[in-house]
Order: sequence, then C-alpha cells, then structure tokens
Amino acid sequence: MPDRFLFPIPQDLDWFALGPIIVVVATGLVALIVEMLRHKRNNAYVVGVSVVGLLVAGAMAASQAGEPAKEILAGTFLRDRFGCVVQVLMVAACLLSVLFSEGYLRQKRIAYGEAYPLMLWATAGGMVMATSRNLVTLFVGLELLSVSLYVLAGLSRTEAKSEESALKYFLLGAFASAFLLYGIALFYGATGSLHLGRVAEVWTSGFETGRSLLAVGMALILIGLSFKSAFVPFHQWTPDVYQGAPTNIAAFMAAGSKVAAVAMLYRVLDAAQPMVALWLPPLFWVAILTMVVGNLAALVQKDAKRLLAYSSISHAGYLLVALLARFKAPDVVSDAALLYYLASYSFMTIGAFAVISVAARAGRESTGLSALNGLWQRSPFAAVALLLFVWSLIGVPGASGFVGKLLIFRDALAADLVPLAIVLAVASVVSVAYYLALVRAAWVADESEADAAVAPLNAGSGLALGICAAGVLGLFVFVGPLLGWMAGPRSAEAERAPIVRQG
Amino acid sequence: MSLVLDHLLSIIVLAPFAGCLLLLALPPEWKTASRVVALVSGGISLALSCVAWALYDGAKGGFQFRESYQWIPGLDIRYSLGADGISLSMLLLTGVIIVTGVFASWTLEERCKEFLTLLLFLVTGVFGVFVALDLFFLFLFYEIAVLPMYLLIGIWGTGRKEYSAMKLTLYLMLGSAFILTGILALYYLDPRRTFDMLELSGGSELAVGLQRALFFAFYLGFGVLAGIFPFHTWSPDGHASAPTAVSMLHAGVLMKLGAYGVIRTCVAMFPEVAPSLMPIVAAIAAINIVYGAFSALGQTDLKYVIAYSSVSHMGVVMLGIASLAPVGMAGAVMQMFSHGIMTGLFFALVGLVYQKAHTRDILAMGGFARRMPGIAVAFTVGGLASFGLPGTSGFVAETLVFLGTFARYPVIVAVAVTGVVITAVYVLRVVQKVFLGPLGEAWSELPDARSTEWVALVSLAALLVAVGVWPMPLVNLINHGLRTLGMEL
Amino acid sequence: MGGYTGLLILAILAAVIAVAMVSLSWLLGPKSPTRYKASPYECGVTPVGDARERFPIKFYLVAMLFILFDIEVVFLWSWMTVFREAETSFKIFSFFEVVIYMTTWIVGYLYAVKVNAMDWDESTLLSQDEDSEGRPALEGVA
Repeated sequence: MPDRFLFPIPQDLDWFALGPIIVVVATGLVALIVEMLRHKRNNAYVVGVSVVGLLVAGAMAASQAGEPAKEILAGTFLRDRFGCVVQVLMVAACLLSVLFSEGYLRQKRIAYGEAYPLMLWATAGGMVMATSRNLVTLFVGLELLSVSLYVLAGLSRTEAKSEESALKYFLLGAFASAFLLYGIALFYGATGSLHLGRVAEVWTSGFETGRSLLAVGMALILIGLSFKSAFVPFHQWTPDVYQGAPTNIAAFMAAGSKVAAVAMLYRVLDAAQPMVALWLPPLFWVAILTMVVGNLAALVQKDAKRLLAYSSISHAGYLLVALLARFKAPDVVSDAALLYYLASYSFMTIGAFAVISVAARAGRESTGLSALNGLWQRSPFAAVALLLFVWSLIGVPGASGFVGKLLIFRDALAADLVPLAIVLAVASVVSVAYYLALVRAAWVADESEADAAVAPLNAGSGLALGICAAGVLGLFVFVGPLLGWMAGPRSAEAERAPIVRQG
Repeated sequence: MSLVLDHLLSIIVLAPFAGCLLLLALPPEWKTASRVVALVSGGISLALSCVAWALYDGAKGGFQFRESYQWIPGLDIRYSLGADGISLSMLLLTGVIIVTGVFASWTLEERCKEFLTLLLFLVTGVFGVFVALDLFFLFLFYEIAVLPMYLLIGIWGTGRKEYSAMKLTLYLMLGSAFILTGILALYYLDPRRTFDMLELSGGSELAVGLQRALFFAFYLGFGVLAGIFPFHTWSPDGHASAPTAVSMLHAGVLMKLGAYGVIRTCVAMFPEVAPSLMPIVAAIAAINIVYGAFSALGQTDLKYVIAYSSVSHMGVVMLGIASLAPVGMAGAVMQMFSHGIMTGLFFALVGLVYQKAHTRDILAMGGFARRMPGIAVAFTVGGLASFGLPGTSGFVAETLVFLGTFARYPVIVAVAVTGVVITAVYVLRVVQKVFLGPLGEAWSELPDARSTEWVALVSLAALLVAVGVWPMPLVNLINHGLRTLGMEL
Repeated sequence: MGGYTGLLILAILAAVIAVAMVSLSWLLGPKSPTRYKASPYECGVTPVGDARERFPIKFYLVAMLFILFDIEVVFLWSWMTVFREAETSFKIFSFFEVVIYMTTWIVGYLYAVKVNAMDWDESTLLSQDEDSEGRPALEGVA
C-alpha cells in the first residue's frame, strides 16, 4: 500500500508511555528559554524549572512500572518494568546532580546556565537507552547522552584539565561509538532488521554466514558498550575524564551515564540470550578483570575524584556480575539485584561526589584527598554523610551497598558463577583500604593552613546530600517492598523459590 | 511498662543509638551536656541489662525476651533478638564498661562530641551482637561494633595511631570476610535456607568436610577479633594507640565478641565436627596464653604490657571454649566477664597514669604509690585478678577453665598453666617498677585520681573482688546459658 | 560467498592496476625536479606563507550552524513535497509534528543569536559580561 508508506500516522501512539522522555526533553527546552531570559546570570529559575520537570517525569515513569509491557511506534519504543525503573533512576540521578550543581558552579564561577538543559537532554538520552529494543533508537539515545556529556565535561572552559577531559571523552567516546555503529551495521546485514528481537530467529536458523556475521556484530556492539560502561580493559578514559570534569558533571557521569550504559547492555544481552555460550566466557573474564583492576588501581590514588573513578570501575564490575548471572540463569535470577544495585550505587556515588564538591574553589580544581582535610569541622553534616556513603560503598551491612552486593552474590551463586562471587567478596575487602583513605582525609588528617578556607554547605548541596543519605538508608530498610517493585510479581515468587543449581 | 518489657533487648541495643543521634544534634560546645547524654544512654542500657538479669527465668532457661520481626521475606531475614545466660552476662559487662568508659574519658576535650557519638555507635553494635539471633543481624551489629574503631583510634589515638588504626581495620575486615563467607555458605548450602541461629544450632546435615570448612571460616573470622595467634598482632598496636575509653571497650568488650561468636557458631552449629577440631583451637589457645605472657614480660611500654596480657587472657577464654564441657565453658564465659572488667580497669589506670605523668615507659617511672596511692591499690587489685589470686574473679574463671579442660587436653593445659606463672611475673614486675621503689624527683608533684575518675576505678575494682568472693549469681546465670548449648554444670 | 567472487576479483584487479600504474610511472619515468615543480600547485601563482595557519574559531561555529540549519531545510523540503497530495488526516498530524520540530529549531536559533554565535565581528566576545580573567561575571560573587 504505497499510500500508507507515504503518509504514515502512527496508530499505536501512546503519549503517556512516551511521557517521561518527552517531559524531560521539553523541560530542557523550557530551561534553555529561561536561561536566555534570566536576569543577571541568576540560575535559580533554571534550576527550579529543571527540578519540577524531572519530578513530573519521574512520577510518570514510576506510575507506569506496573503496566504490562508493550512495544509501540513500530517496535522502536518499549515500555516495560525494567525500562520504567531505569527511567526513574536516571531522573533521580539527574535531579540529585542538578541540586548540588548550582552551589558548586557558583563556587567555581562557572556561570553557564546551559549546563542544566544539557544535563536534562543527557538524561533523556539515557532514558531512551533503557526503553527500546531497536538498535538505531538505542544508538540515538546513546549519542544524545554522550554528546551532551562531551560538552558538559568541558564546562569549566578556563581550566586546562576540564578541556582535556572533554577532548579525551569525546575522542574515546567517538571511537566507541564507531565500534558500536559498525556492530549495528553488521547486525543489520545478518538479520535484515535493526530490532534486537530478531537475534534468536537468525541464530537458530542454521544459516552459517548470518550466524557468523551476527556474532561479529554482537562482539563489536559489546565492545562499544564496554567502553561506555567503563569495563576493563576499556576503562582508561574514566579516571582522566572524571578528574577533569566539573564535579557535578562527574557525579552525573558516574551515576547516570553508567545506569544508562548498563541498561542498554541489559537490552542487548537480553536479546542475545540464545548466544549465551558465545559471550559468556569473554564477559566472565572482563568482569573479573574489572573488579580486580578497578580495586587495585584505586589503592594508589591520591586524588579524590580519581579514586571515585576507579571505584566506579570496580562497581561496574559488580554490575556486570549481576548482568551475567541474570542472563546465564534467566529462570532463577530476576532483574531485582541489578536494579537495586544501580539505585544504591547511584545514591552513594552522587553523594560522595557531592561531598567532594564542597571542597571546590574558584578557578582551580582542588580535589586531592588533602582538600577534604578538616571537613568534619567545616561541614560536619557533609562529613557524617561521607561516612555513610563510604560505609555503603565498602558494602558493610547497615546501608544499601551491602544488600546490593549480597543480592549479586546470591545471584552469582544461583547462576553457578562461583568464581565471580568469590572475586566480588575479595574485591570488597580490598576496597576497604582505599575507601578509608577518603574517611581519613575528611576526619583524621589534620587540616593544613593552606586549605583552611571556608566552604559552607549551601542549601542545594545539603538537600542533595540529605536525599542521598536517606536513599542509602531507605534502600537498606525497605529492601523487601523495593525488590518487589523492581522485579515485579513474577520475580517475587522466584525470589522465594529454592534455587535450582545449574549443570 | 509492658512496652518496655516487651522490647527490653531492643531498648538496650537502641538506647546508645538514640544517644548517638541526640549527640549529633547537639552543638559541639556543649561538652558537659554531651557527656551526660552519653552517660545516660549507656546507663539506661546497663540498668535494663540488670532488669533483664533479674527477670530472667532460670528455671525455664533458653533464650528469653524474644523479639522477632520479618525484615526481608524473600531472604527470610528476621530482626530477631533474644538473650540467654551467656548473652546476659555479656550485656552486664558491656553496660559496666561503657558507663565507666564514659567516666574515664570525662576529661577528654578534643572533639568531645564526635568521640562520644562514635563510642555510643560502637556500643550499639556490641549490645546488638550479644542479643542477635539472626546471622544477618549478628553480622550487621558486628560491623557496627568494629568499624568505628578506625576513626576512634585514628583521630584520638596516640603514637602511631594511623598505622594502628589501618592495621586493625584491615585485619578485622579480613575476619569479617571469613564470617560473611561462612554465613552465606551456610545459608545457601544448608537445606534449611535460613539465617535463624536457633534453627541452625544443634547440628547440621551438611557433609562433614563442608562442616569443617565452615567451622574454620567462623573460627578464623571471629578468632581474629578474639586475638588468636597468629592474627593477634593488630591487638597490641591497636590497644596501645587507642585512647583510654576505646582501649577499655575494645579489650574489655570487643575481643569478647570474637569469643562469643565462636560459641554461637562453631560450638552451637557444628557439634558433630567440633570435638575433632577443638584440639587445634586448644593448642592455639595455649600458644596465645604462653606467648602473650612472654611478650608482655618483654615490654617497657605500660600499655603494651596490658595489651599483650589481653592476648594471653583471651587464650584462656578460647581454651575454655575448646573444652566443649560445661565446666570449661562456664569458665570461659566467666573469664570473658572477669577479663573484661579487669582490662577495663587496667586501661583506665594506664590512661590516668599517662595523663598525669605523660609517659608510659615503665623504666622511667618508680615510686608512684606514694603520690597516687589510690591508683596503685586499684592496679594491684587488677593485677592480682590477672594472675588469678583466690578472692578475685580471675581465680574463679581460670580455675574453672583449667579444671574443665585438663581431662581432655592434659598436655596442652599443662603448658598453658605455666602462663599463669609468667603472668604473675610480669604483673608484679610492673607493680614493682611503677608503683614501688624510690620516687624520682620529676614525679614529686604527681596528683592522684580525681572526682569522676574515681567512679571507674572503684566500681571496676569492687566488681573484681565481689565476683571473686561471691561468684554464684554469675555462675548460675552462665549455667542457665549453657543449657542452650546442651550442657549443664 | 559464491555470488560475490566476481566482485572480489574486480576489486583486486582495480587495486592492482591502479597501484601498478602510479608506482611504475614513478619508478620508471624521468625526473628533473626544479623548485617551482616541487612547490604545491596553487592556480599557477607562487605560494605564499605556511598552509597551517590559525584562522578564527568563528569559521567552525558558522560552519556548524550552517550544517545544522541545512539539515533542517532538507527535512522540511521532504515534508513539503508530500504535503499537498496527502490526505487530510496526515496533513493535520504532520503539521503539528512539524510545528513541534520547528519549535526546537527556533529555540536553538534564538539561543545561537543570544550568545552572538552569528556575530561575525571579531571584537565581540562570545558573552559580553566577562571579568578581566575571561570568566563570566556572576551575581553575588565578588
């Protein structure tokens, strides 16, 4: 029917399902307009608009988590529980970063109100990455996220480190995108479609050329995503970029960008389920490498942001363990551990970065560990919050980090990935040493005269810290209901069922 | 009132935590108010522990004052508390030590509020461990009890404080990794799939090899905290660097967490493999006793002497546990109590001496008894209890332990008993060098203990003697506790 | 693979012939270089100065904006060509689609104007209220 081809009107358009993304993008536009109209570079209204928009989008996404999964717009958009939960996480990550941005940016005299619209659009990109099974849509989402972040990383234009960060991130990000795009092209060649749902059909068809093409394509896609998720050995950009980028942006990158990359990886691995024998061995070793290298490299760091960057690499390793367990034994392992860990990780990482941002000074970025000296005196609240985040990052019971690791550990055992579970446990013990360096800097080490300048905690940072702390504790206390919400009713039963050991 | 009685253990655990939160809200300048808050919240726990002791129905035995709430249904984790005789005696010990510890650090001025906050937080964990009946919560409270130590030593310590703090934390985290591995392995491998300690105790259906492995995981994990050889090296460094109240709590109570953990896991949960493995535990305990005593003999730093004596005395506790017999086990718990009070007293005294003389070098001191008679008397009482002179609590405890274990490990006990002799030597050596002999000229102005400081000294020394003279109430209490382990005197 | 063998042979042949022609003429041909022959060709005029020259960043900015708005026109053009023949329902639907689409462009355009991205004057700074160190002035910060 040529007419229908010429004049397409989407019949299955569900505005409400698309709502969260539309709201975030539109809020970005409105925020940009407000930014242009604002008076004397006062960003209060820009922040206000962004916060309101994000809250609306988050509420919309959360309200849809229980709805049945459906694909709309010719299979380019998927609304399901996983997508909705990730959308909520993305929005939360952006919200928290926005909250402590203004104080930090003012302290550093970075007056660009454009930061907020860009953060919103990056969030929208991340949300798209979680809610599609169409590779082009996923790619557009990824680029929307990445391009916004390239700009944001270089926000502090007068600082060489920030520029270096932006350039490095851009070059390596473009490199990764090229891998991904090439992989998508081969995928299209193999399946004749851009929809991930076609994998199973082609893989089981027995058409050898298609199978090998698909395998190579998938390998390239996974390499591209490994870059974005900062898995070892594709992690080298992470410390440099996090260190150079403004701290609020680094926080958003560490949390939001990682959530989005892991969500996209989830979509790809979910589709690649039939090929599990092929990708499991390499990713198994990548997970081990990531956990080992991330933790060992963190031990020798002297800069708080680099330390957190390596910490985020090791947490990416834990997340990969959760992913592998999820797709190695899909019948016994639910999404709950992965989503729970993402939530917990976002709260504690953003919180830790927010604490570091308190040490910001105009013009130069002082994020060496010694910049935190005397924090207990200058800002007791931030110092106590840092204790809590470190407590959780180490994975000590009493905070969400422990439950997250426990769930991943359990899933790894259930999926018969015992070596990964052991490496995870050992890596957690090693991590104590470097996380304590943060505590030491903030609490134990004596304050040197040079750094005795005041850096009072402003309202936004205080609020962000408070929410992060409440989140870390709340996730711990309300584990039961949260896991039920994240994994859905089906998985709640699977949680209770005895684990059937594989092989 | 019934609300309090129904949640007696929860209140004992959470009272220090409430104090901790209250302290966070206080302005740092209100130092006296902070001290009072700490004292009151610790005092509530002590008072309620006494109430629990009085209300404990010895005829019924077992775990009483039970509280149990579902927390994570999917994992069957329950907030489950309960106390038997062993727990109760440890609760009393903890209560006494925290109250006297607050008194002993009454004069601490630097970052007073933060210090007390962390102290109360730590004590929350200690109380929690002693009443937890769910492995998950046991571990949770265990970590709460262990980790604040890093800051307490790192900030308020003396000497190589950061080194000691880091060493202590890494050792204990390594231990917790063993414990966690053991807990998770037990949960996933055991068909009962539960964290409930009551359900798990009394035997396991797992393969014997697996049970052995789990036994060692728990023994090593908790043993690190109990200072077993060769993982004891964090303890002298940590205790020597820590401030007074922290040393008191750590040597007095925290090391008991380790021994308590061994009783609740290794002894209670693996009764089949325990008899075959306990000789190893006993042998290591004997090494602890003798090696610790000899090390104490060679020290010139007063605090290191006491710290090594703790290593030695914890050996006695472990030896008693290794007996797996009611007499030895009762002796072990008795020794935990006795050593807790005794070490608390010692560290309080050392803190006072250091605070007044500004040195801990034994060789530099001498004749202090003339200037500080009170401190000298208290130290001597502690010392006598330390080598088990009749009439002190140490005598009761050590006699029970050696009586209970001799039949089972005659050779090991014969070696271990020599430790008592060496203990007498180093204790008397310290008493002689520090308090007797001619008074050096530099020390002519030394003051004795003052006002609040007396509270700690008198109450602890009196307790040592009281328990030694009239041990039956405590022995009865412990005996009720042994029934939960299937033993009775 | 079967159907593509001929294509592969063609590609290889083309590569071989091209490489052979260029390299053989370079190897075998007579050479008598002079200074003028060795210099880059620039419409027969003697080259002046270095080719690696700094030129204003405005070139990039304007070039990027040109590409962006060029693409906008491409999209508009394709929509415009089918609009007249379309059925009414499509006209209505696509009209509002394009309105939304154009709104984003207009906001972008306004922003570009606001930050003087189109201002070719070299003396104009990207943003006018900057302090002496090149940092933008901020309300409330000394």
